[in-house]
Amino acid sequence: MSNPLPNKTISVRIDGELVTAHEGQTILEAARANGKQIPTLCYLKGLSAVGACRVCVVELAGTDRLLPACTTPIQDGMSIKTTSAKLTLYRRMAVELLLVERNHICSSCVSNSHCELQSMAQSLGITHVRYSYNNPRLQVDMSHPRFVLDHNRCILCTRCVRVCAEVEGANVWEVASRGIYSRIVSDLKDDWGHAHNCTGCGKCVQACPTGALAEKGQSVHEMVKQGDAVTRLATQRAGQASGAH
Amino acid sequence: MKGAVKEVLDAHERLLIDQAIAKHGNRPGALLGILEAVQSANAHKYLSMVSLRYIADETGVPPARIYSAATFYALFNLDPQGDNVVCVCRGTACHTRGSRDLLEKLCLDLGLSEHEAGETGEADKLALTTPDHKFTVRTVACFGQCALAPVVEVNHHILSHVNERTLQREVKALTKNGGGGK
Ligand code: SF4
Ligand code: SF4
Ligand code: FES
Ligand code: FES
Repeated sequence: MSNPLPNKTISVRIDGELVTAHEGQTILEAARANGKQIPTLCYLKGLSAVGACRVCVVELAGTDRLLPACTTPIQDGMSIKTTSAKLTLYRRMAVELLLVERNHICSSCVSNSHCELQSMAQSLGITHVRYSYNNPRLQVDMSHPRFVLDHNRCILCTRCVRVCAEVEGANVWEVASRGIYSRIVSDLKDDWGHAHNCTGCGKCVQACPTGALAEKGQSVHEMVKQGDAVTRLATQRAGQASGAH
Repeated sequence: MKGAVKEVLDAHERLLIDQAIAKHGNRPGALLGILEAVQSANAHKYLSMVSLRYIADETGVPPARIYSAATFYALFNLDPQGDNVVCVCRGTACHTRGSRDLLEKLCLDLGLSEHEAGETGEADKLALTTPDHKFTVRTVACFGQCALAPVVEVNHHILSHVNERTLQREVKALTKNGGGGK
């Protein structure tokens, strides 16, 4: 995360343009500060960055490896490319793989037309996927009095895990198991309604980019999320914390 | 909640967990040490939900984090293990030399269904136990003994160039002798 104190300025090139950045910033932060858009899914401003989804990959001159912009610190003299045919190819692949892993059937989803995964797919021009669908049969946890967790829509971005731990301090969620068997779990895989620490604050629901976490009683395409409210809250708290020193 | 947890856990196991926690303290990475100690002290070599809850209560580590660690590492079992553990290698070398058939035959002989692991059952991390708790069948990704393929480990003894006959004989011997696991 960016340090609120002004750090040493460095100069870098982003898409050919010479810009200044601050030491300690990530490539993503430096790019956004200079008005460059890099697509992201697992990143949510205000939370720690984990580099889980790989849609934010960028090209760095001098290496063939693509780097996740959200977790890579920017360094003096770097020359970054944020858009190219190669990047679109890889970003598309990352999103297609997310789409085949679970059951993302937008027409019957509470988040239809307010979903970050859906709009990401649209902006990358994904009209179909080239891999075979996994079609897992996953559970829907309805045990919470106000919210629902539908594993069929989860992309394992861990935004819910981080917001609950880092902002609410309740530590309800984690990722259990590995690979395609990975699942978001509350407590010891207890029903969410029985998670002993959950305050019912709803931050995880607002942070979730898809229809995996939603408020109860929402019908198809009614669930509008407020990810930026989470960001505002998190940055406010960070500001208060550093102001206290 | 805390009181209820302590009631279900028997006094002996609670003592073992307290000792493990005291030994590992709060240093980073302590959780893995605690889980390993608790599992190996358990008669059926597994981590019960009550023990996990007790560990969470006593260490202050969020339950979800404990569950995440316990399900990430293949080393940890959340179900009681059988007296005998037969571990079939499903690595590439062993696969090409017929370990799939060995596994299928073994499951068939013991009356286990490979598919009963269910939704979260992992193909790469199979662990099935017979209802009488005599046998647990597991798989691993490679024993690092590929030249001896196919490899099956029976109660921590490596058997090399296994065929259906030798495996069947091995299992029969264990059935007669009862538990040889300890
Ligand atoms: S509602 Fe709040 S406390 Fe409960 S799981 Fe979500 S973020 Fe955590
Ligand atoms: S439930 Fe939502 S926020 Fe949590 S990991 Fe899944 S997609 Fe991400
Ligand atoms: S946004 Fe960077 S990896 Fe997901
Ligand atoms: S593949 Fe079986 S031991 Fe390596």
